[in-house]
Amino acid sequence: MLEGAELYFNVDHGYLEGLVRGCKAGLLTERDYVNLVQCETLEDLKIHLQTTDYGNFLANQTNPLTVSKIDTEMRKKLCSEFEYFRNHSLEPLSTFFTYMTCSYMIDNVILLMNGALQKKSVKEILVKCHPLGRFTEMEAVNIAETPSDLFNAVLIETPLAPFFQDCMSENILDELNIELLRNKLYKSYLEAFYKFCKNHGDVTAEIMCPILEFEADRRAFIITLNSFGTELSKEDRETLFPTCGKLHPEGLRLLAQAEDFEQMKRVAEHYGVYKPLFEAVGDGSGGKTLEDVFYEHEVQMNVLAFNRQFHYGVFYAYTKLKEQEMRNIVWIAECISQRHRTKINNYIPIL
Amino acid sequence: MGSMFRSEEVALVQLFLPTAAAYTCVSQLGELGLVEFRDLNASVSAFQRRFVMDVRRCEELEKTFTFLQEEVWRAGLALSPPEGALPAPPPRDLLRIQEETDRLAQELRDVRGNQQTLRAQLHQLQLHEAVLGQGHCPPLVATDTDGSSERTPLLQDPRGPHQDLRVNFVAGAVEPHKAAALERLLWRACRGFLIASFRETEQPLQDPVTGEPATWMTFLISYWGEQIGQKILKITNCFHCHVFPFEEQEEARHAALQQLQQQSHELLEVLGETERFLSQVLGRVQRLLPPWQVQIHKMKAVYLALNQCSVSATHKCLIAEAWCAARDLPALQQALQDSSSEAGVSAVVHRIPCRDMPPTLVRTNRFTASFQGIVDAYGVGRYQEVNPAPYTVVTFPFLFAVMFGDVGHGLLMFLFALAMVLAENRPAVKAAQNEIWRTFFGGRYLLLLMGLFSVYTGFIYNECFSRATVIFRSGWNVSAMVDQSGWSDEFLAQHPLLTLDPNVSGVFRGPYPFGIDPVWSLAVNHLSFLNSFKMKMSVILGVTHMAFGVVLGVFNHLHFRQPYRLLLETLPELVFLLGLFGYLVFLVFYKWLCYTPASAASAPSILIHFINMFLFSQSPTNRPLFTGQELVQSALVVLALAMVPVLLLGTPLFLFRQHRRRSRKRPTGRQLDEDQTGLLDSSNASEAAWGSDEEKVGCPGPEEEAEFVPSEVFMHQAIHTIEFCLGCISNTASYLRLWALSLAHAQLSEVLWAMVMRTGLRMGNKIGVMAVVLVPIFAAFAVLTVAILLVMEGLSAFLHALRLHWVEFQNKFYSGTGYKLSPFSFAVEE
Repeated sequence: MLEGAELYFNVDHGYLEGLVRGCKAGLLTERDYVNLVQCETLEDLKIHLQTTDYGNFLANQTNPLTVSKIDTEMRKKLCSEFEYFRNHSLEPLSTFFTYMTCSYMIDNVILLMNGALQKKSVKEILVKCHPLGRFTEMEAVNIAETPSDLFNAVLIETPLAPFFQDCMSENILDELNIELLRNKLYKSYLEAFYKFCKNHGDVTAEIMCPILEFEADRRAFIITLNSFGTELSKEDRETLFPTCGKLHPEGLRLLAQAEDFEQMKRVAEHYGVYKPLFEAVGDGSGGKTLEDVFYEHEVQMNVLAFNRQFHYGVFYAYTKLKEQEMRNIVWIAECISQRHRTKINNYIPIL
Repeated sequence: MGSMFRSEEVALVQLFLPTAAAYTCVSQLGELGLVEFRDLNASVSAFQRRFVMDVRRCEELEKTFTFLQEEVWRAGLALSPPEGALPAPPPRDLLRIQEETDRLAQELRDVRGNQQTLRAQLHQLQLHEAVLGQGHCPPLVATDTDGSSERTPLLQDPRGPHQDLRVNFVAGAVEPHKAAALERLLWRACRGFLIASFRETEQPLQDPVTGEPATWMTFLISYWGEQIGQKILKITNCFHCHVFPFEEQEEARHAALQQLQQQSHELLEVLGETERFLSQVLGRVQRLLPPWQVQIHKMKAVYLALNQCSVSATHKCLIAEAWCAARDLPALQQALQDSSSEAGVSAVVHRIPCRDMPPTLVRTNRFTASFQGIVDAYGVGRYQEVNPAPYTVVTFPFLFAVMFGDVGHGLLMFLFALAMVLAENRPAVKAAQNEIWRTFFGGRYLLLLMGLFSVYTGFIYNECFSRATVIFRSGWNVSAMVDQSGWSDEFLAQHPLLTLDPNVSGVFRGPYPFGIDPVWSLAVNHLSFLNSFKMKMSVILGVTHMAFGVVLGVFNHLHFRQPYRLLLETLPELVFLLGLFGYLVFLVFYKWLCYTPASAASAPSILIHFINMFLFSQSPTNRPLFTGQELVQSALVVLALAMVPVLLLGTPLFLFRQHRRRSRKRPTGRQLDEDQTGLLDSSNASEAAWGSDEEKVGCPGPEEEAEFVPSEVFMHQAIHTIEFCLGCISNTASYLRLWALSLAHAQLSEVLWAMVMRTGLRMGNKIGVMAVVLVPIFAAFAVLTVAILLVMEGLSAFLHALRLHWVEFQNKFYSGTGYKLSPFSFAVEE
């Protein structure tokens, strides 16, 4: 794209940008959260949500209301918004949207394969799949037995196909291999998305690259954390790290060698961005988990994305913020329904 | 009309509604639309209020209503709006309505479910038929498979393991948009161990859910081997295909097909029966639903209003606070008594003092509504402030007409508006939904007056479709001029332009009785004459209009008991405005009256005089208009300028002094003050006999007066002063738009006449040719007249008239910072 996107950005994407900014203004505010937390039952929660932008999205639900119903309906709402954006988008924004859906598609594929492994019925798992990552061939993944089978038969026509170049193998898909497959797919997906944004240039690159760098580093940290005490070798571990983050290359090499949380923390201390995050993690009982800290940082970055104009990052940021909001609502709803109010304030406020 | 001059007195009232009768009272108030409830529970969130359960039940019911409504719409039926008055049902009726609704919804759901399962079955059968039908003619597939199975053994080892392999079939149907993906996936997953043929169904089948016709793709897959078969089944499953048993023998297929046909016939009959029953149920819904919807809607509104009331624990009643027009108080009292008489305890209403600014209520009728709308669009007036609307009724159409002056155009507009006014009671006109039409229709009386005034100004300008009309005899006499000037034939031949000299006796016989003399339309200096006239006219109208605005401010000051502002604001403002621009107007009139044609050559320029007035100088070439002029002018300028500091400092200093004096008195005066207010309150209270403990809740009691911040008052007054003084100059100039627009309108219509009609009239000399040519020419003239001169020019003149009212007129006295009284009412907004 040429320099000076502001001159003609609005011709193609102005409508959608305006729309997404309007949608962003509909996110729940601090006041809403305060009210939600006070709710006694899910019915109260529903009444309160009706006064927000969610409107009467639960109006057609039969009683009794459950958390999963709320979750599904919220997802449906997000999905319909997203579909609307996507159907009205022009290139290269539509490619951007496709990239955004890819992460959900990867999750869905992995979910289905895991389900097939555990001999669960497809229908049961389909309910759990994220609606943003749905695609027609999705349900056919269980006919594949090896990654290359999967690629050749099922995924070759989907946007996921290019990410498969690194993980073509004839291994039988067992639980570990599926997990490896997920991480490899994710790695090449993130790298491809990063490259796309970088090549796009302009404000989009300035906004999206830091977000994706953070996403990559977060994955690296999480993979490291999850690989402690498993049979995953250190070399294998290093191959799973996405290489588009700030940690690349030294940090990733050090992370590959890390053996416990303390060592990981030491690696993070070399980076100004991650040091405060790791310091914020509470130890043991009470305090925040690493996951929450990462989420908070992500929310902050996404909110900041709205301070710039004429870029695609707002769409990404909006989707992520909405997801966070949904997680918050589900958390609050769970706390309410399980009468477990002590932790109800542990949601992540959206600034 | 009397109430138009300022908004009505609105009182804050407290309603004590006995719990038993609260519902009926509020619903009665909703029918009457008298009061606006204040939210006394603003701090309580929506789900913690008292009647939240009832609201929720209403919402549940509405949900069911939505379901019923959608079902009715889906069946292609319409719901007619209910007739007759439907009061909010008593609360006990809610249960009955709920039961009946639930029963109806359940019945409908059952029938609909039945219908859908039947349809789904039928759909399956039909698909199966279609699939088998496709199997009737599989020669292509058959030969292909035969051919390949014959050929394979030849290439590989003959009589090998393929010997006993049979070709198997999977047959089914899939939605068309998935067919291509399915085909590709099958091919990729099974690598050519199968042959699939896809074909569209011959006739579209009814979709079981939506009932819309859709074509499907049927497919027939032939394959080898068990594993492939399982894979194929998995794939077809994941595409949600319908797979049917497929007999290999032709006869068996035939038999199956016949059986299917018979089944679907039977099913069709059952389906018809179900649909008849369904339409019966829908008919019942159609009859019952609309009244219920209205009733429940009202009920919900009542509960929402009740949610705004606070509860008194001791009195077992609900306390509501509401704004109500003082005029409606007896009606309110009556309504409450009537509706609470059943409960034994009667509802009580009484006024309470309040410190908040009450809402503004101006009652309008269909004539004044559009004018009030113009004012309200700028800002709803402060409570009891002078309302500019009654003056706007006259000035708005007049200023519009000054810019739109043309008898013909005005007449067209008048007739259009008249047609709307005469047809206003017709239901078809009322029900029209077109937004543009509704705008015009809403302003029909405005248009009527605008047209009427335009006809008047058109006569003044003497223009009808840009042509002058000769009603009276012209004041100029050409023959007298010819007689006395001794123009020779040669002189006449050489000079196409001749001057009529009013100084020659007999040429000018005196002014034309009404408006502009038609002879001007022949003159070449027509335009400069009109310009001079219209410019002066706009300044005169403007200064008059603004001065009127300043004078209206007097009524505000008198009403709000601020007499000091008369002296410190209105007077300086008037002196400033009239001393400078009023004097200009005087000069214009003076010059008009005192200079005759004989002395016209030596007439001085007003413009130069006016400029010199500010410079305190005198130009030798410009003779004074009257003796002592310089003295008068200097005095006026000094007086006007002296008013600026008065305006700037007067009010703030007065308020400051008042504040100081009061604060010095405070220690002693306070007690007394409070005593007095206490007395006042109790006298108020005794009128309405209110309870003792609620009064503290209801009225916070007279608090300290708003803090006096000198800097703020000074700043505010400084802004006001600067705005007024500069505004006088710029606003006077702004009124010149009257001249500019009327000029533009006249010129545009002149051009249209010259370019279209005149060329048309010149085209042919024979009657026949003329007649033929003039039809399209006149059509073009008419269309352009309406489109450009009436609609476009009309809109622009409207806009400028609007601006002159909002900015130039209303900023002299109107603050427009109030808010409207929006009573709790069940009535549907027009």
